[in-house]
Amino acid sequence: MLCLKDFSFKYAESDRFALRDINLAVPDGCFVGITGAAGSGKSTLTYAMNGIIPHCYPGDFFGSVIVGSLDTVDASLTDISRLVGSVCQDIDSQMVASIVEDEVLYGLENFGVRTDEVEVRLTDALEAMGIADLRTRTIDSLSGGQKQKVALASIIALRPKVLLLDEPTAELDPASSLAVFELLREYAHHHQTTVIVVEQKIALLADFADKLVIVEKGRIRFDGAPADVLAHSEELLEIGVNVPRATSLVNGLRQRGLYRGSAVRDVDEAVAVCEEVLA
Amino acid sequence: MIEFKAVSASYDDEMPVLKDVSFTIDDGDFVAFVGTNGAGKSTTMRLMNGLLKPTAGEVLIDGVPTTQLKTSQLAAQVGFLFQNPDRQICCNTVRDELLFGFRAQGRADAHAEARVDAIIEQFGFDADAEPFLLNRGTRQLLALASIIVMETPYVVLDEPTTGLDFRECAKVMDIIAQLHAHGTTVIMVCHDMEVVGDYAQRVIAMTAGRVVADGPTFQVLCDRSALDATHLLAPQIPQISMALVENDPARADTALARANTVDEMLDALQAQEGAMSCGEVS
Amino acid sequence: MAKFLEYVPGESFLHRMNPVVKVLCALLISISCFCTGNLIFLGVVLVMDFALAASCTMMRQAAGLARAIAIFSILLALIALLTTPTGPQLVALPWGYLGWGSVVAAITVVVRLVACAIPLFLVMYVTQMSDLANAFCKIVHVPYKYAFTFTSAVHFIPVFMNDMSGIMEAQTARGVEFDGGALKRIRLMVPLCVPLLISSVRKTNSAAIAAEVRGFNLRTCESGFKEYPFARLDAGAIVACVALVAASIVVSMLVPPLF
Repeated sequence: MLCLKDFSFKYAESDRFALRDINLAVPDGCFVGITGAAGSGKSTLTYAMNGIIPHCYPGDFFGSVIVGSLDTVDASLTDISRLVGSVCQDIDSQMVASIVEDEVLYGLENFGVRTDEVEVRLTDALEAMGIADLRTRTIDSLSGGQKQKVALASIIALRPKVLLLDEPTAELDPASSLAVFELLREYAHHHQTTVIVVEQKIALLADFADKLVIVEKGRIRFDGAPADVLAHSEELLEIGVNVPRATSLVNGLRQRGLYRGSAVRDVDEAVAVCEEVLA
Repeated sequence: MIEFKAVSASYDDEMPVLKDVSFTIDDGDFVAFVGTNGAGKSTTMRLMNGLLKPTAGEVLIDGVPTTQLKTSQLAAQVGFLFQNPDRQICCNTVRDELLFGFRAQGRADAHAEARVDAIIEQFGFDADAEPFLLNRGTRQLLALASIIVMETPYVVLDEPTTGLDFRECAKVMDIIAQLHAHGTTVIMVCHDMEVVGDYAQRVIAMTAGRVVADGPTFQVLCDRSALDATHLLAPQIPQISMALVENDPARADTALARANTVDEMLDALQAQEGAMSCGEVS
Repeated sequence: MAKFLEYVPGESFLHRMNPVVKVLCALLISISCFCTGNLIFLGVVLVMDFALAASCTMMRQAAGLARAIAIFSILLALIALLTTPTGPQLVALPWGYLGWGSVVAAITVVVRLVACAIPLFLVMYVTQMSDLANAFCKIVHVPYKYAFTFTSAVHFIPVFMNDMSGIMEAQTARGVEFDGGALKRIRLMVPLCVPLLISSVRKTNSAAIAAEVRGFNLRTCESGFKEYPFARLDAGAIVACVALVAASIVVSMLVPPLF
């Protein structure tokens, strides 16, 4: 569905490649977590996937990025946007309206969704994000978590095939972060949507993602199932990527020869391993 | 010493954001405030440097109510790091940025210059670099440095690690830990429970404008009722430890129940496992 | 807590009026203020302004606004005071004199500016920017790009003001004293424009991209989902405002100046 082939990119104003030799295939309906140290090229990778590169940021573009049947270089940004819905990092400047309902309407209106379908899409999107009761509120009066859900609703109302989120929980507390990820998973599952999330909170990613991609200095260092990627905890820490403590614990047990099974990605799995060790 | 005596506060005289909050922070403490957004943590921080004055009760800094001092006067005592470094940074070079506080307080003398040089050395900054061209993590470090350079006895940090990657986060927190080791009282708001567990000595948990728990870090972070009330999760190792005790209450007295870090838990597991295999042999 | 120029939801008749009509009426009221120099007429308009504000519970905002504009117009009032030597003399000046007429002229300047500005600002408080833009597109056929530029500019005002107050707070916490004379304040605030400018550029850039990936380029005047029909209320409001302009012209022609 989404496929990057030998992709490299250098921003026009830079003399260094931001991304180099990226090969990545994301199957339909996959929940992908992307992480890496600051400046590793995570954001650039999302720009490549939603067509902002090369359409908004010029530069040297090598290889190809295919979304569905579109080549992002040939297709217009608007056509790519029909397939890939993006939520940017800065929610406040993304908002165009002052009322929740209008914010969700904006994209629907632009893409010319039929008038009789608009209402259904609007209510569905608000309900999917659990914010139906906020419909007539001013955006200004909402908390950070609620705003993030509005931003998400305004994108999922467009029913994109791929949802692309750049650090959706950066400003949120743990409870709201978890809520956002749960809503995302639920929605993606129901609608067979591919979700691609760039995130620093490794514990969340490890818990929710089907596939974890670690970017280091413009290249993909690891790409695989979370437990497999997290098994390399020491290398990850070395390149500035955090590892959930539960994973570190089990990796420690493996090192001390107390456990021989595979790495874990969350607390529940770690507890099971501990019980196995203690049994 | 910072004392909150039955403090209430609000921004628009209508909805109280803080209700009857009392606590005392002793010199040399390292306190983390935890809770969801909107629980009143940032409000509590703003009360400490007088940006906000209580509507009821008193906030005392070294015995002096904040109502008697201007924020600019309090700045000499309480260093305050805001969430967003870009709101703080305003000078054209790193050096000017670090001198800014001294200039604002009219203390830009030879001592100030020496302090700035020492900090530039310690942080490894390029003194002539333009702050706005630095990356996010370095800007956060610069904002922190421009607070530390003032040598205030109290440092208040509002989410010092938000938006930073793992390495930057560790760097910022290590600097804060050093600062604390040299006697500065550190008060921070933090959403990352692992960071809180690693660095803080004491945790104050807030929800809906009230303090619901206040005590040694892991005592609060392992307190089920406090965690539920504040919608927080314990750090992962205490979570595992609590789950293990729940599975077998006999473990409540073992090292498993007391393990808070990866190494402690590894040692505890190894000891238990060792004891058991010994038991099997004998 | 409502911020400066930010939409306040409500159900008053001002809220329900057609956005285009609201702007038209506000303009007509302003025009009427400039058609006549009659202080009593301007006073009546001012009272009407406040009645309108009261009708949509926007008294507090209107009062604050009136005060701000009055302060800004003091300079103009001073000029009027010193350069309109009419009416019985009060104080002799080297280049003429200061009379009752000068005082009336000065007051007129202030009242006129306040009376003409309040309705324009009220429109902002009772109309959502998106409604305003969509209505102008649909009814007046203003190209959407211009409407969007305008609404985004207004949309960003509170965002920037919020930023500015955040920046000032951060500097206060570092020991800068913003209280004191206006000149000192301005001198202290100038360097703070750098962080503000940088965050603005960043914000507008990401806003532009965000709009683009949400189909901004496809949007036409017909895209708006909501309809903005004219109601009897709107017709009534236009008639009333046209009558006001007519009245102001009549007053300025028939009623002789006070001095």
